[in-house]
Amino acid sequence: MPGQGGGASGPGRIPVSEGEYRLLQALARAGVSRGSLEELERATGIPRSSIASLAALLAEKGLARVEAVEEVEYKPSERGRRILEEGAPEERLVRLIAERGGEADLASLASTLGPEAGVAIGEAKRLGLIEVSGGKARLAVEPGEALERASRVRRLLEALARGGRLEPEELEALKRRGLVEESRRKRLIVELAASPLEVLSRVSVEIGRLTHEMLKSGAWRGQPFRAYNVRAEPPRVLPARMHFLAEFIEMLRDIMKEMGFREVRGPLVELELYNFDMLFQAQDHPAREIHDTLKIAEPREASLEGLESLLERVGRVHERGWGYKWDPRVAARLVLRSQTTSVSARLLASRPPEPLRAFTIGRVFRSDTVDATHLPQFHQLDGVEGWSGYTFRDLLGTLKEISERLGLEVRFKPAYFPFTEPSVEGYAHMPGGGWVELFGAGLFRPEVLEMAGVDYPVGAWGLGVERLAAAYYGIRDIRLLYTRDYDYIRSMPARRGW
Amino acid sequence: MPVLRFKAERLMSLIGLKDHAALEDVAFRLKGELEWGPEGEVYIELNPDRPDMYIGEGFARAARGLLGFEAGYTRPEAVESGVEVTARGVETRPYIAAAVVYNVNVDEEYLEELVQFQEKLHDTIGRRRRKVAIGFHDLSKLPSKRIEYRLVDIAEARMVPLHGDSEVTVERVLEETEQGRRYGSISLAGHKHPALLAGGVIIALPPVINSEVTRVEPGTRDLFIDVTGTDAAAVLSTLEVIVAGLSERPGARVGLVKVDAPKVRGVTPRLESRRMEVGASWASGVLGVELGPGELARLLSRARFNAAPRGDGDTVEVEVPPYRVDVLGPIDLVEDAAMMMGYDALEPELPQLRTRGSLDSLTLLARELRKLAVGLGFTEAMQMVLTSPRAVEALGLSGAAVRVANPVQVEYSVLRPSLAVSLLQFLAENQHAEKPVRVFEVGEVVWREGGGVAEDYRAALAFMGEEASFEDVQAPLYSILRILGVAFNAEEAELPWAIPGRAARLLDAEGGELAWLGEVHPRVLEALGIEYPVALAEVSLSAMAGGSGRFRIRGHATR
Repeated sequence: MPGQGGGASGPGRIPVSEGEYRLLQALARAGVSRGSLEELERATGIPRSSIASLAALLAEKGLARVEAVEEVEYKPSERGRRILEEGAPEERLVRLIAERGGEADLASLASTLGPEAGVAIGEAKRLGLIEVSGGKARLAVEPGEALERASRVRRLLEALARGGRLEPEELEALKRRGLVEESRRKRLIVELAASPLEVLSRVSVEIGRLTHEMLKSGAWRGQPFRAYNVRAEPPRVLPARMHFLAEFIEMLRDIMKEMGFREVRGPLVELELYNFDMLFQAQDHPAREIHDTLKIAEPREASLEGLESLLERVGRVHERGWGYKWDPRVAARLVLRSQTTSVSARLLASRPPEPLRAFTIGRVFRSDTVDATHLPQFHQLDGVEGWSGYTFRDLLGTLKEISERLGLEVRFKPAYFPFTEPSVEGYAHMPGGGWVELFGAGLFRPEVLEMAGVDYPVGAWGLGVERLAAAYYGIRDIRLLYTRDYDYIRSMPARRGW
Repeated sequence: MPVLRFKAERLMSLIGLKDHAALEDVAFRLKGELEWGPEGEVYIELNPDRPDMYIGEGFARAARGLLGFEAGYTRPEAVESGVEVTARGVETRPYIAAAVVYNVNVDEEYLEELVQFQEKLHDTIGRRRRKVAIGFHDLSKLPSKRIEYRLVDIAEARMVPLHGDSEVTVERVLEETEQGRRYGSISLAGHKHPALLAGGVIIALPPVINSEVTRVEPGTRDLFIDVTGTDAAAVLSTLEVIVAGLSERPGARVGLVKVDAPKVRGVTPRLESRRMEVGASWASGVLGVELGPGELARLLSRARFNAAPRGDGDTVEVEVPPYRVDVLGPIDLVEDAAMMMGYDALEPELPQLRTRGSLDSLTLLARELRKLAVGLGFTEAMQMVLTSPRAVEALGLSGAAVRVANPVQVEYSVLRPSLAVSLLQFLAENQHAEKPVRVFEVGEVVWREGGGVAEDYRAALAFMGEEASFEDVQAPLYSILRILGVAFNAEEAELPWAIPGRAARLLDAEGGELAWLGEVHPRVLEALGIEYPVALAEVSLSAMAGGSGRFRIRGHATR
């Protein structure tokens, strides 16, 4: 067990890790103090890769030496390998002659042995196993002895292939016939500075990981703790996170709530009635055309049931204001809302009592192709505020307050929106430089209030969320707000202000 | 919004300004957005409410008022022109009005602005020529002062189109000119097309193209202007806007034209101002500043209205020039007064009224859920409601999906009927992320229901790993629901995207559908290019928040 079994600490002792200590113990048990990694692995049962790293650590502490030795290694060549499969040519020759009663025709031996016949006869003669005369070959010794001696080359090769060591003259015999090839490789030789027991007496074990077991057994007592390299970088981990855009939106919600506004919601698929007609946009207004507003394929129109009195007011105001025949079927068409002001329109149509303070944050849709500054869908914050005596300066005051709560300085500019008068745009000075349009705002036109049936002035504003969020997080490409990169979301730097 | 290109020198001299910064300031205060261009040009983006400013003289008129160089409105001098227009039977484009302006004295620079004026009017109040179209002619080139507006047979009638060199049939003009191809179908009536003829010669083919015969060119002194359209009021007011712009030329005079046409009988342009009254105390109440009638009248004069206090201590009588097509009522005068004061002069005043703010129950619930999901190791994804039909199809949810009739890009042409679509698309792009990947999303889903459209607010959790089991989402979902105090019962379910036998539906205490969960079928994973198993759960926050965020729009059967 780690930390157990000796290695008491004491002054002058060299601290080693549990792994190093285990290696020393195993070497002591095996009585080995020097060897290659393979040899030490066999001796200790510790994998050679572990021995290599542990030995390096021991060497750093002066407890061992690790040296690289170049070794020449022999293994059977292609010819050698054929002998391993088929036997040596002289061996086959001797066997053939023995099978034929100790004497055979040279011509028939040559045809059976093929191109190796010459080598076979030459070697057999050199070894004194056969005699050749009169076109015949005959065994010069007993068949058993002849076979034994003729198979020597094969047996040497077998020993080599098994990893055994050969005597120099044996290797020479194989080399002479081209049956081996040599290769050189480096081997690490580990040698302890002294005998294992002597080294063990000089060291003490350090605790690596403190474990439950050690605490239970008290084995940690009296043991030093290994010091870590606390300057080293740890592995990278990323937290589970809320999405940064969602957090930005929640921040906006909190600002509106703190300023006394009530949150409302409305549908994404909307009647043109609320998206356009109630906002006093004429039915032939270009914004309603097919290339500006996304429409629903099916159903194309909503039922207008239950909206009779609202429709009556809307029709009356449109016909008076724009001098055309207003068509309820156009108001019934379904679109993906192009502005969250549709939610404000729904709210106004419910004729809320004064004082009114409400906001919504939601998705809106546009006929835009996705690029670094455009999305077909983004978020808007829409706010409304009004009561008897509410003024344009009140509206500017509220917009300025929102800007300041966002940490931004705002400048107002006259603007045009079909449903507000006076209209205003709020431009914010961004900390990075430059002015960005922050609000589109104004007092709802009397026509809008008349359609809704509201009898006090109401200010309204819209704020595009994504452009602001991108600036807040220092993102240049707005598409990154909708990234599908898991790690990007998890590693987004936190912001606590501009 | 229209962007006007001006020669900076010309515009500044029309206004009487010397430095660029002053022009920038004027544009800002007149709702314009100014950008400097190359070669002494300046681009000013203007709003659609003030078409009278779409020509240098019109912009200068407003600017000079703002700067206090001039005030009020002077009706241009008008004389009989002797030109007569009669219109009959042009059902596809019935209305016409016309005017002459003498001493316009066209030069190259002015010709460019004139063409731009015409184009911007076409694009805005003209509704790309459908509602209103304008033709400019050199008065001296008119073959006759008697002008007819009628339909001509496109195969028989012939004309020389603008910049053309020979007479061809109207049919060929419609087929072979760029304008013909773009605008030729707007007012076509079978094989007939509206035309303006002088002495039997076609001088214009409204709303498509003019004739070479009366082409305006540098050196043209007097202009004849025709305006045609499908809305008589818009035709008349557009003519007023044009005449007001052109008659600002030095020495210009308006020539009246006798028109005999549907809804337009008598002399055009009308040059008729409207009378309005605005109470100073009411205007003060709108803006939140104290304005006496005298001060209000002065501001409105700078806005180029004729305005004078009535003498009752409150009312200001206002004469609204005919070119101010944006002024519908007194509220529009209030805005002009505020613009003349300058919005910087309107000190923002934070309302002192105290109200208690509140967040929607769905928002509060979603916040709780998001905290819990993050605590359980899930990271939030945020994706669009508009998604790819291929992904919806892969999950077997196409039948209920709401399609966009006019998408810009196929990848954003369907509304997601389930958050499962979004989360699986997210996971498909995180195949190389370290596993497991735990992700959640909160948001709207939309689907077709009973001939109408239904919308719900939901949350979904997904788990992707070397292995992923039902329990990898079931356990966190149950944990969340129990912490949120939601009672539920589970039952077996068949979900189009889940492995049969490994999908469940949760029902709330009233038996309403609350959540759906399961292991995603390998067929679905394969279709989306996901190579790791996924378990997924979706829960209706609307169901948990008493129906908040749940919308049902009833459809109306259309033929």
